[in-house]
Amino acid sequence: MTAGTSGRARQTARVTLLAALVLVVAALPVLLSGGPSGGRALDPADTSLNGGAALARLLEAHGVQVARVETPAAAVAAAGPHTLLLVTEASFLNRDAAGRIAAAFGDRLVVGSVPYLDVLAPGVSREGEARTRSRAPECTLREAVRAGNAYTGGVSLTGPPGATGCYPAGDGHALVRYAADGHTVTVLGDASFLTNLRLAEDGNAALALNLAGARAKLIWLAAPDDSAETGGGTDEEARSLGDLIPAGVKWAVIQLAVAVAVVALWRGRRLGPVVVERLPVVVRAAETVEGRGRLYRSRRARDRAALALRAAAADRLAPRLGLRRTATPEEVAVAAAARTGRDPEPVLTLLCGPPPGDDTALVALAAHLDTLERQVRDS
Amino acid sequence: MALTGRAGLLAALAAIVVLLAPEPGLAVLAALLVLVVLVAADLLLAGAVRGLRFERDGERRVRLGQSAAIGLIVDNPGRRRVRGVLRDAWQPSAGAASRRAALDVPPRERRRLVTTLTPTRRGDREAVAVTVRSVGPLGLAARQRTFHVPWTVRVLPPFLSRRHLPARLARLRELDGRHPALVRGQGTEFDSLREYVVGDDVRSIDWRASARRSDVVVRTWRPERDRRVLIVLDTGRTSAGRVGVAPVPGSGPSGWPRLDWSMDAALLLAALAARAGDRVDFLAYDRAVRAQVSGASRTEVLSSLVNVMAPIEAELVEADAAGMVAAVLSRARRRCLVVLLTDLNAAAMREGLLPVLPSLSSRHMVLVASVADPRVAGMAAGRGTAEAVYDAAAAERLRGERREITAVLRRHGVEVVDALPEDVAPALADAYLALKAAGRL
Repeated sequence: MTAGTSGRARQTARVTLLAALVLVVAALPVLLSGGPSGGRALDPADTSLNGGAALARLLEAHGVQVARVETPAAAVAAAGPHTLLLVTEASFLNRDAAGRIAAAFGDRLVVGSVPYLDVLAPGVSREGEARTRSRAPECTLREAVRAGNAYTGGVSLTGPPGATGCYPAGDGHALVRYAADGHTVTVLGDASFLTNLRLAEDGNAALALNLAGARAKLIWLAAPDDSAETGGGTDEEARSLGDLIPAGVKWAVIQLAVAVAVVALWRGRRLGPVVVERLPVVVRAAETVEGRGRLYRSRRARDRAALALRAAAADRLAPRLGLRRTATPEEVAVAAAARTGRDPEPVLTLLCGPPPGDDTALVALAAHLDTLERQVRDS
Repeated sequence: MALTGRAGLLAALAAIVVLLAPEPGLAVLAALLVLVVLVAADLLLAGAVRGLRFERDGERRVRLGQSAAIGLIVDNPGRRRVRGVLRDAWQPSAGAASRRAALDVPPRERRRLVTTLTPTRRGDREAVAVTVRSVGPLGLAARQRTFHVPWTVRVLPPFLSRRHLPARLARLRELDGRHPALVRGQGTEFDSLREYVVGDDVRSIDWRASARRSDVVVRTWRPERDRRVLIVLDTGRTSAGRVGVAPVPGSGPSGWPRLDWSMDAALLLAALAARAGDRVDFLAYDRAVRAQVSGASRTEVLSSLVNVMAPIEAELVEADAAGMVAAVLSRARRRCLVVLLTDLNAAAMREGLLPVLPSLSSRHMVLVASVADPRVAGMAAGRGTAEAVYDAAAAERLRGERREITAVLRRHGVEVVDALPEDVAPALADAYLALKAAGRL
């Protein structure tokens, strides 16, 4: 018996393992395709709180052409003498790509927290962290002065000699602008004033429009939808997961399906027929009594319940008191009172009084009947 | 045919080959082909099951609660070894122990397998099918065939109350005067005369015989013998109700049917009456005669009783009391003790038995034995909460009805035994002994 059981358990484990393998293979593409994309920070197409859609709409309303690019190559291709390149996210770049962007035509607006700042904005150095809050411009830069207070801070920056610094923060400034090689480079300590969340506060919108709308065309370098597809900014074609899986896997899954079918045939074949048997009915004899008890309870049939209890007590008392079986409850009560020396009146009420008024009285009645029977028995 | 787990494993392993193969599509086809070829070869090489021959041996009867070993001889006349598994399928309540057994029969040889049955209820238990699965040498596929090898084991009532028999037999010997204590027999039938010894009851001295001889002679008495006892078992719906705790494991938590308790009591009574020298007949009736034993010799009556009782099940119909009385009257021409094993169900009794009882009790001594429900007794003792008291009231009402019907029956001159399941057999035996001692048979 135990050997058979363990053998069966082993078989079950084997089948379970096989099924799990098939499931994992089937679930792999779904798992790798990733979940729904959340908000991407400062993406002109993103309307979440962190996105930049509001700024992009404002710029377009002011006649600025906003071009959203995802790859450094596209950014360089789109760049011209009258363009401004906005770099808010550069974590997907490599140093070469950053260098190519830095060498492109046109002005640049760079957020100071990006990597390769030394390439994108040479000469600008980070001095440390500064709390992001509303700050006054305290400089002569026209764009900043006209915008007034703005929500800046983040990274404290110092520019190369000749640079203009605005919005003092920490040891440096939250905005640094300088000119190099014929184009203007502006570095921001923090870009959160560009987001949909902050754009309506202070002079954030004015500052953003002044900075980003300085040229007729804004090239907005946003993080690509899936960084894996543009590894290192190469020009490879986007490939789906299906292309990456070797062709053998698909056939192996088919072979696994065959294996599952074989296992199903193995498990599905019974060793002989199902044996049927006519079984006798199983009904407990006490069911009718229990049903009657529940009926009494649900209808609160205290009168009937009390009657049954009193009759049973009288039936048991009568022979003990030397009375006939057909003696009336009154006779039993009088005889019981005489035997126990109790006052006849309460005994009479107990054995043939009115039905109890509530359940508590019924429980008490049952207890009193028990007491009376015990007294008669012991007397 | 049947596949094995090994075939599935092989197909799964082929997936790895397919994964690494340069031409995976072809590899799948090749794997399928290889699998089919291997399975076909295995099927061809497996031992033939079609020609297998079977024989059974072993017990035909078993008491409920005991085990029986049934042998199954598998004869392989083929040229190849039959190796695999065998399932000897019995009805579930036969409690067959080894559901599937390993089988290995060399060519032109035979092997014996044993199936142990531990039945969980009375009746005839049949072997339903024998299925053989003969696995091929590779273990990938198997030939399978189901055979019908009939065998029936009759599961007899356990007669658990036989432990009460020695005490009752001692009482019987006391009545008989054959007790070692030399108590005078209390019977009513004249037996013989013997010399007076000190201690004999002076009232039993036969003065006429003493006058003829010079010695004081006493009469001895013995209990009446060669009386007839007809045990009538009610197999109607009231006998199906389950009461008490089943004394045999595997019978389920809801107890044993009243019918089984009644059978137990009937067997003790029959054993006792047969020893006492009475003739015992048996009748099981609901709306027709379900089983009967009549004219069995004293040594055989018990075995023929358990044999006819074994397959009886309670029918879910109202018992036909008038028909039963007619059946009893047609069988018992002379006065006899009619022991009616039924339930003291007030409504059923009033409508069924009571109207026809006088015709029975006027010609025969009637004894009604009924199994009381311990659950009702437990409910009647419930106190403390309103629910328990309502249940107690319902139980008291039922017990009141039973007392009432008992009183009505006693007014008709019928003896009534109403006892809990474990006590009903000894109580019935005691009632029989009391009747016998009083010479009322």
